[in-house]
Amino acid sequence: MRIPKLLQAVLVLAAVYFGFIILFDVVLDQVIPASLLAMYMFFTFAGVFMVFTFTDAGARELVAPIRSLVEDPSRRGLRNIVFVVLPLAAGWYSFDQMSPSFEAPVELRSIHPAPPSRLKAYGKNFDIINMNNPFRRLEKENPGEFRKLVQEGAAVYIQNCHFCHGDKLDGKGPYAEALNPVPANFQDVGTIAQLQESYLFWRIASGGPGLPKEAAPWISSMPVWKDFLSEEEIWKVILFLYDYTGQRPRSFGGGDHD
Amino acid sequence: MIRWLVVIAVIFFAGAAASAPADKARGAKIYIQRCLMCHGEDGDGGGPGAKRLNPPPRDFTEALYKFKTTGTDEPVPNDDDILRMIRDGMPGTAMPGWKDILSEQDIIDLVLYLKIFAEIEEEKPEEQIDYGTEIASSPESIAAGDKLFHEGERCSECHGRDGRGDAVKRLKDDSGARTWPRNLTKPWTYRVSTQPRDIYRRITTGITGTQMPSFADPKSKKKLSIEERWQVANYVASLAASGQPVRAENTVIKAARIVGALPAKPGDAAWDGAERTTFFLLPQIIAKPRFFTPSNDTITARALYNDDEIAFLIEWDDRTKSIPGDADAAKIAEPDMGPDAVAVQLPIEPADGSEKPYFIWGDATHPVNLWKWQSGTTKAPETVEVMTARGLGNVDKRANGGVSATGIYDNGIWRVIMKRARATADAGKDLQFREGEFIPIAFSAWDGSNGENDRSHTLTTWYWLQLKPEAGAKPLLAGILTALILAGLLIWWARTAKARPESGA
Ligand code: HEC
Ligand code: HEC
Repeated sequence: MRIPKLLQAVLVLAAVYFGFIILFDVVLDQVIPASLLAMYMFFTFAGVFMVFTFTDAGARELVAPIRSLVEDPSRRGLRNIVFVVLPLAAGWYSFDQMSPSFEAPVELRSIHPAPPSRLKAYGKNFDIINMNNPFRRLEKENPGEFRKLVQEGAAVYIQNCHFCHGDKLDGKGPYAEALNPVPANFQDVGTIAQLQESYLFWRIASGGPGLPKEAAPWISSMPVWKDFLSEEEIWKVILFLYDYTGQRPRSFGGGDHD
Repeated sequence: MIRWLVVIAVIFFAGAAASAPADKARGAKIYIQRCLMCHGEDGDGGGPGAKRLNPPPRDFTEALYKFKTTGTDEPVPNDDDILRMIRDGMPGTAMPGWKDILSEQDIIDLVLYLKIFAEIEEEKPEEQIDYGTEIASSPESIAAGDKLFHEGERCSECHGRDGRGDAVKRLKDDSGARTWPRNLTKPWTYRVSTQPRDIYRRITTGITGTQMPSFADPKSKKKLSIEERWQVANYVASLAASGQPVRAENTVIKAARIVGALPAKPGDAAWDGAERTTFFLLPQIIAKPRFFTPSNDTITARALYNDDEIAFLIEWDDRTKSIPGDADAAKIAEPDMGPDAVAVQLPIEPADGSEKPYFIWGDATHPVNLWKWQSGTTKAPETVEVMTARGLGNVDKRANGGVSATGIYDNGIWRVIMKRARATADAGKDLQFREGEFIPIAFSAWDGSNGENDRSHTLTTWYWLQLKPEAGAKPLLAGILTALILAGLLIWWARTAKARPESGA
C-alpha cells in the first residue's frame, strides 16, 4: 500500500519533532528549550514543504485529501467536525499564548566549559593543559603506596564532598535536592570519564566562582576548594573519584601515557 | 505479554534461589571499600567521615540496631532488618540505600560481616514483634490515636503538640550525640517508612540507643495495648501525609494581586489566596566556616501584592523558639544561644539576561538586598534590617530600609511577614518590584538554639518570584477573535469551492 503524500509529510514532521526531543533528552540530557524547538521545526517544515511541492503533480497530490474534504459532498459530516474543531483549537492556542506565563525562564549553561590555560593557586601557576596527576604513576610503580593515597583521598571525600556528590558518588548526597544545578554524578560516563585529571584539578581548586560566564558561576554551589584543601589533597581525592567509580581519566597526548 | 511475565518471573526466582550462604570474606571486602569511610575499620562508627555527621554512623560493636522487628527485650535484630536498612538506606541521614550498586548477595555478605563486629553471628533472635490484628486506617482510628498521642503528653512531650518535633527536652543518644525527636509531619525524614506497619514497629520497640521509648513495655506508665498502638500508628501516618511537600518543579513563588491593604498578621485569611512554594534548605557548607549540623530543612514562602506594596509570608519548621535570656529556652539550646532569624535575598537589579548575583550574598558587580528578621531577646523586641551585600565579607547595614516585619512562633513553626513598598526612591539601592518580571529570590534561616549565627546557617539557592500580572480580558478576546476569523475563512473556502464547476473528487 502506498502512503498518501499528506500523511507522508505529517509523518516526516512528527519524526523530526520527536527526534529532536529524544536527542536532547537522552543524548544531551537536557530539556530542549521551546524557542529552539520552534526554530528547528520552522526550517524542517519549510524544507518538507519545498520537497513535497517540487512538481505540480506532487503539490496536487499533497493537497488532494484536503480538497476532497472541503469539496466532496459525501464527506460533509467530517468536514463540519473539522470546521468546528480547527477554529476552536486556534482560538485556544492564541488565548494560551496571550495569557501571562508563569514558566520560569530556562537557564542554559555549559556543564564542562573550556578551562583557562593557567590556574593561579597555592602561590604557583599551574599549566592546566599539560600537567598530570603527580601520583598517577604510582599506580604501576608502587601499588601499595597508591592504595594508601586512594584511601587518604577517600577520607578527604567523605569529610568534604559526600554531602552533595553522595556517598556512592552518584550526585545524590543528603543535600543534593537543595541544589540547582544538581551536583555532578561521577558514576555517570559523561563526567569524569570524559575529562583529564588536570581539568578536575582546575574545577575542584577554583570551584563555582572560578567558572567562566557561559557556565553561570553565580548559581554553582561548588566551593572553592583551594581555600580548604592542600594541593596534594586535591590530587588524592581525584585518585579516589576514579578508583571508586572504576572510570579512567581521559588522556590526550600531553605526556599522560596510561 | 504472558510469555514475558513468565521469563521475568523465572529470572527473578532464579536470582532469589541463587543467593548463596553469606560469605565473610566477600563481606569484608565490600565493607572496606564502601562502608569503612563512615562506620570505621573496627565497625565502631569512627570512620574518617563520622565527625561531621549527625546522627553519627552506627557503632556495630554494640549491636544496637535502631530499626528492628524483633521484640522489645530481644537485643538481636533479624538479618532482614539489617538487610533492609542497607538496601533502602535511611532518609534524613547520611546513610544511603545501596541497592543500586550492591546485589542482594553483596548485602547478605555484609550483614554477616556487621554481625561479627558484635559477635552475634551465631545468635538467633527469639522474640518477634506481636502485631495482633492490624487496624486499618479510618477517621475513627485516627481520632483515637490523636487522643492517645496527646494523653498525658505521651508522645507530644517529645514530638510536640502538632508533631513537629519541637523540643521541650534536651535529648541525647547513648553515644552522647544530640538527637532530635522526629518532625512527624515531614515524611522524607522517616528513617524507615511512613507505613502504619513500620510506625507500629517503632512504637512497639522504641528506637534502640535513643530516648524514643518502647510503648509495649509493661513497666511503662504510658504503655499502650496492641490495638492502641495501631491507632497511634494510623494517627502518625496521617501527620506524615499532612506535611508541606517540596516539589522540585515548583521553582516560582507566584505573588497574587489583591485589592486593598495587605494582611498584617500571619493568620489572616487573605493568605489563602497566595500559593505556597516550599524549598529545601541546605547548610552553609560552601564558604568558610562551613556548617555541618543544621536543624532546619525546608522553608515555605507565599507573597501578596497590591498597587503599592508587596508582602511575604515565610514559614519554616523550627524545633526551638530561641530567645536569648530565657532560662527555659536555654535549657534545650546549645551554649551561646542566639535569636532565630530569617532573611530574604533579592538582587538589586532583576536578572539582566541570565546573569545573577552569586547566590550567597551576591558579588562585587552584582549586589543583593538582604532583608533579615530576628526574633529578639528577653530584653529587646524582634528586629528587621535591610542590608546591601557585595559578597560575604562586604555587607552594609542600611539605616532605614523601608521593610517592616513581624513573626509568630506556634508549636514548632515560625511564621514571619515582611513587607515593603514595591517602588522605592533609590532604584540603585533597592530592587523595584514590577509585575510579570521574573525576579531571582533566595532565603536563609538561622536556628539560634542550634548554634546558628552569622555564617552558620541554612540557605536556599536562587529561585524565582513573579508578581502574577492580571491577565485582563485581552487573551480571551484574542482567542475568540482568532476562532471567529478562522471559522469565517473556512466557511468561505467551502462555499467558493462548491461553486466551482470542475470541483468534485
Ligand atoms: C556517609 C556515611 C555512611 C556510609 C558510607 C555508610 N553508612 Fe551506614 N550509617 C550511616 C549513618 C549516619 C547511620 C545512622 C543513622 C541513624 O542513626 O539514624 C548509619 C546506619 C547504618 C546501619 C544501622 C541500621 C539500624 O537499624 O540501626 C547499618 C546496618 C548500616 N549503616 C550499614 C552500612 C553499610 C553496610 C554500609 C556500606 C555498604 C554503610 N552503612 C555505609 C552512615 C553511613
Ligand atoms: C522521650 C522522647 C520521646 C517520646 C516520649 C516519644 N518519642 Fe518518638 N522519637 C524520639 C526520638 C529522639 C526519635 C528519633 C530517634 C532517632 O532516630 O535518632 C523519635 C522517632 C520517632 C519516629 C520515627 C521513626 C522513623 O522511622 O524515623 C516515630 C514514628 C515516633 N518517634 C513516634 C512516636 C510516638 C507515636 C510516640 C508516642 C507513642 C513517641 N514517638 C514518643 C523521642 C520520643
